[in-house]
Amino acid sequence: MGTCLCKEQQSETDITTGTHNGTTVHSISAHVPANECLDCYVAASSSGPCQKLPSYSTVDRLILDTLSIIGTLIENEQEPPPAMLQLHVIADKEDGWIQVVSSMVKVIPMNDPLGPAVITLLLDDCPLPTKESVLRLSSIFNLSAQSSVKGKSKPTQQRNICVVLGCIAEKLAGPNSIAILTQGTLNYLITNLNTDNNPSVILFSVIALEKFAQTSENKVTIKKRLEAEPTNPLMCLEKWVDSEHYVKRQVGFCAQWCLDNLFLVEGRKFSYECVDTSGINVMLNTKDVSEYLKISPNGLEARCDAYSFESVRCTFQVNSGVWYYETVVITPGVMQIGWATKESTFLNHEGYGIGDDEFSLAYDGCRRLIWHNAHNEAQSRQCWHPGDVLGCLLDLNKLEVIFYINGSPLCPCTRIFKTARSGFFAAASFMSFQQCRFNFGSEPFRFPPRDKKFQNFNDHAVLSPEDKVVLPRHIHLEQLRKLSVREDSCTLCFDKRASVRLVPCGHKGFCSSCVMQLAECPMCRATIQECAPDNT
Amino acid sequence: MTALPRRIIKETQRLMQEPVPGISAVPDESNARYFHVIVTGPEDSPFEGGLFKLELFLPEDYPMSAPKVRFITKIYHPNIDRLGRICLDILKDKWSPALQIRTVLLSIQALLSAPNPDDPLANDVAELWKVNEAEAIRNAKEWTRRYAMDN
Repeated sequence: MGTCLCKEQQSETDITTGTHNGTTVHSISAHVPANECLDCYVAASSSGPCQKLPSYSTVDRLILDTLSIIGTLIENEQEPPPAMLQLHVIADKEDGWIQVVSSMVKVIPMNDPLGPAVITLLLDDCPLPTKESVLRLSSIFNLSAQSSVKGKSKPTQQRNICVVLGCIAEKLAGPNSIAILTQGTLNYLITNLNTDNNPSVILFSVIALEKFAQTSENKVTIKKRLEAEPTNPLMCLEKWVDSEHYVKRQVGFCAQWCLDNLFLVEGRKFSYECVDTSGINVMLNTKDVSEYLKISPNGLEARCDAYSFESVRCTFQVNSGVWYYETVVITPGVMQIGWATKESTFLNHEGYGIGDDEFSLAYDGCRRLIWHNAHNEAQSRQCWHPGDVLGCLLDLNKLEVIFYINGSPLCPCTRIFKTARSGFFAAASFMSFQQCRFNFGSEPFRFPPRDKKFQNFNDHAVLSPEDKVVLPRHIHLEQLRKLSVREDSCTLCFDKRASVRLVPCGHKGFCSSCVMQLAECPMCRATIQECAPDNT
Repeated sequence: MTALPRRIIKETQRLMQEPVPGISAVPDESNARYFHVIVTGPEDSPFEGGLFKLELFLPEDYPMSAPKVRFITKIYHPNIDRLGRICLDILKDKWSPALQIRTVLLSIQALLSAPNPDDPLANDVAELWKVNEAEAIRNAKEWTRRYAMDN
């Protein structure tokens, strides 16, 4: 059994890259040294239970400060801004938590591309609220079908309430999530789905319902409630999936995803069964994606509603020549879109994605940075807007990558070619609530570079009909769980046959590819000097 | 939806078929690497009678690196901080790929029975645990009653 090891904490934030027998192992711990935030915590607790809460205007200001500074925080291991740390201390007390949440609902503006992400970020770092605090909060908001109708004149606050509800539902998944999905809250969220409501309010209501449905009892309750409506509101919203209004388009995407994955409707065909993929030869790869990214049934549009930094590569690899693809930006927040080889790793929970290692390069048009190996170069451009087209050109003859915004080129990038010269895929990472659509050549390009001769993936790639299917998650997981495991398989991966014996300790039951990644015996921690074949 | 390693499938199957007494670990419906965990407070500990929620996540290179585990239910314990982070060597440098989800959760349950204030993560809790163990245990019982018996 284990014991405590706080003394080794300092190394926890370091990125350690160790090489064992030629295999590079990256391990990055998300564990922040507790000392600093604990100091604040201790300071706050020592001032006693009668500590006065700061005024509402102070909290409002701290939230706006956090919002304005968050877009400039670009290092993964950077300390949170002081305003954010102060908010954490305030939210540590139950009344403080309620104050911080109420303030966020009031002051986070509709049009800030990072608004919803900042709400989730702040709530994520605050201690978990008790069920009582959440119920108190619901009674302050007084949520009901009527409050949804009344709130139409204040869409910003309604949207923020929905973001908060979704975040809490996810954090308290389980019995508490059932308790906080009261009749009033459910009526409020369902009434919000009315098509004449503000599309942003509808969007975050759908997302909140999705997050409540992480608890199975809630899923059943919500499904019944949707069925009780004259027409299932999600079925109406799903029709917006191809809308040129970019918020409505997001609503359509999320409604369709919910109908395919969570709130199945009898008699409705799954989207993957209806979609026409005959002209599509390249897709986002459903076998090469971090776990929470949502991919559209045609494999060309992706969206993240998780709090992690989700990444994906496409199905087609290029090794030589000049290649171009485009993405249409649907949301104006943080996405890192560009190129990556297979060596680039998706560390979604640590916040690392495309452009954060030496095997990938990406442009982020929200913070206006080109990323490579977690270093960035600022670009003097405007922030991207929904509808903007990011063109990505990879020239393996001249060894340069050029990004284009609506046809206008940024400076060529060459650094990535120090580590990789071939084996590139189109790839992208998404922060919470971000979405974009890829065109690998199955449709005409909007801004094809005029001065370069290039190829497009779609003309050169082939996908088998099975590989064109983007399965809903529950079907995919069901298929996986049916797999059986052989008796003589390696006790570490259960994948390959156990075939080696460790020298000198003599332990066996492992395959050579697992042992290659180890320095010590998994059973006795003896240093592995060599491994001998073992076929007994 | 990256291809799920057989190791994870195998462990999940076993957790479902032969659950560990006092521990429930259920994979998330949409993410097979994320587990919703409930650990019951061990008998004869200040946490007795409590049901503690945790989250457990298997990173991409599991089992070569350790699962990430965190308490979601608030708990008064010298080796667990206010964000639920756990100070346990097998989750850090003493990890071995031969350990499993079930062994990790058993270790965490054992940590509840045997707090170690000499190696603290929550400094104020550990301090009290050392200078006035009776009061610390009273606090732990009170927190257990307040936060872990509600469900």
